[in-house]
Amino acid sequence: MLSNRLQIVDDFRVGFRAQKAWGGSMATAFFFGEAGAGLFFISQFFGFVQGMAVALLMVLIGKGGGHLMHLGRPSRGWRALARIGSSWISRGLFAIAMFAVFGGLHILDVSGKVLPEGLSMLVRAVAVAACLVIMVYQGFAMSHSSSISLWSTGLMPITSLTYSLLAGTMLMLVLGYDSVLAEQPDALRMLKLAAAGLLLYGFVVILAMLHAAKYGSEGGQESVELLLKRDFAKWFVSLVILVGFVLTGLLAAFGPTSYGVMLTMAAAELTGYYAFRVLVFKAATYDPAVSFAAHFRR
Amino acid sequence: MAKWGMVFDLKRCIGCNACAVACKQENSLPYGVFFTKTLSEEVGEFPTTTRVYIPTLCNHCEDAPCQRVCPTGATYTRPDGIVMVDGDKCIGCGSCIVACPYDQRTRLEPQMLERGLFGNGKLTPFELHGYARFTPGTAVKCTFCHERVDAGLQPACVATCPTNARIFGDLDDPGSTVRRLIQERRGRQPMPERNTNPRVFYID
Ligand code: SF4
Ligand code: SF4
Repeated sequence: MLSNRLQIVDDFRVGFRAQKAWGGSMATAFFFGEAGAGLFFISQFFGFVQGMAVALLMVLIGKGGGHLMHLGRPSRGWRALARIGSSWISRGLFAIAMFAVFGGLHILDVSGKVLPEGLSMLVRAVAVAACLVIMVYQGFAMSHSSSISLWSTGLMPITSLTYSLLAGTMLMLVLGYDSVLAEQPDALRMLKLAAAGLLLYGFVVILAMLHAAKYGSEGGQESVELLLKRDFAKWFVSLVILVGFVLTGLLAAFGPTSYGVMLTMAAAELTGYYAFRVLVFKAATYDPAVSFAAHFRR
Repeated sequence: MAKWGMVFDLKRCIGCNACAVACKQENSLPYGVFFTKTLSEEVGEFPTTTRVYIPTLCNHCEDAPCQRVCPTGATYTRPDGIVMVDGDKCIGCGSCIVACPYDQRTRLEPQMLERGLFGNGKLTPFELHGYARFTPGTAVKCTFCHERVDAGLQPACVATCPTNARIFGDLDDPGSTVRRLIQERRGRQPMPERNTNPRVFYID
């Protein structure tokens, strides 16, 4: 009770404010959405039905469930389809609906050749297009929030795409190891190498994102300090950087192509990625609401 | 049609927060929810320090980011410039909350309405009556007391302010007090770099 009271007193001072509207359930939804869409994207190149089916479930149950848990009025969620032209949340929901229908149809088609060729290509194209939107739209939705410098960067959608491709590749390496990739050892090596390249690229993108935030505004600087030096540093540095990039990168570049290594690599990458999703919400900081107070010296 | 706006005279504000109390009373706001706050800030370096009081509320931005990101159209602007939330359309996604650069929105969690002002889970008759206006799980914020404004009254915070530090009026009327104050005393908008064009101005 006392700490609650102190918090309210503190709220009456000019200063940084932590973003609290988007938390764990949104982070979980973003994680499953991007990882699932990434897995679908990679799996469909190989016609890997199990991979696509797992991906569809990840998006529908993981992402859908996370969003339903987050919404204040989940029963009205359908209303978010109302303004596709103006809001990324609406566009994303539309893409999820398209993905559910066309992704499901594509899986049926690949497993049983149920559609004529022209229609089959059309279904696949729509499924992949919807999947690509899910891979990036969350980054656009976050970068649209100009109030939070950590998010308000064009690098945010690129971060989403990179993490999505990375998670998809890792899951493909694990799920396809004994099946589709066992028949194509070259593809296995190629995917592992692609993972190493994506990790290097993703690491640079995260550094660039932090750099943009740090020099973007005072709030951005505060966010970066929270992530690298203060409250969240032990999680961000250990999980996102060391486990998610360094350990995973070393395994991808130099590890053998055994199942154990693939599993460890995927677990490490997904741990780092989930930590990233949670921490960028937690460290999001608004600039002081009235930033020009210092001009009013008497 | 008037375009409503507010001016805060920082020379007059004494930081008493009578405005915040009046707002809570007028809008039946539950524990921990504020539509307006007067913030304080220590400025300068010892020994030449002072404390400034800075009233804040929703700025009813002309180009409101909260409205731009709303996926349902629940956030809308009335013809008189007051930015509103339609509680029947809002899905409580929180996009507007993260988009508002001024941190002026709150999602009304159901437990906020169940806790009671005394924290014992029992609602007073005042709360039972007042909370009926809210839809739990939706976004809420200052409405410039639109019902009072529609009835020709001043917002509750303005009517209560003991030092007249809050001045409310028509920004489109060249003869209005708000227009005169903004022009004569070089009114500044909060965070102009965000390009939201707030309808709230500060003068000192
Ligand atoms: S101050 Fe915030 S809530 Fe109010 S209109 Fe501007 S962006 Fe929207
Ligand atoms: S919380 Fe409500 S008002 Fe805010 S963006 Fe979502 S639907 Fe719109």
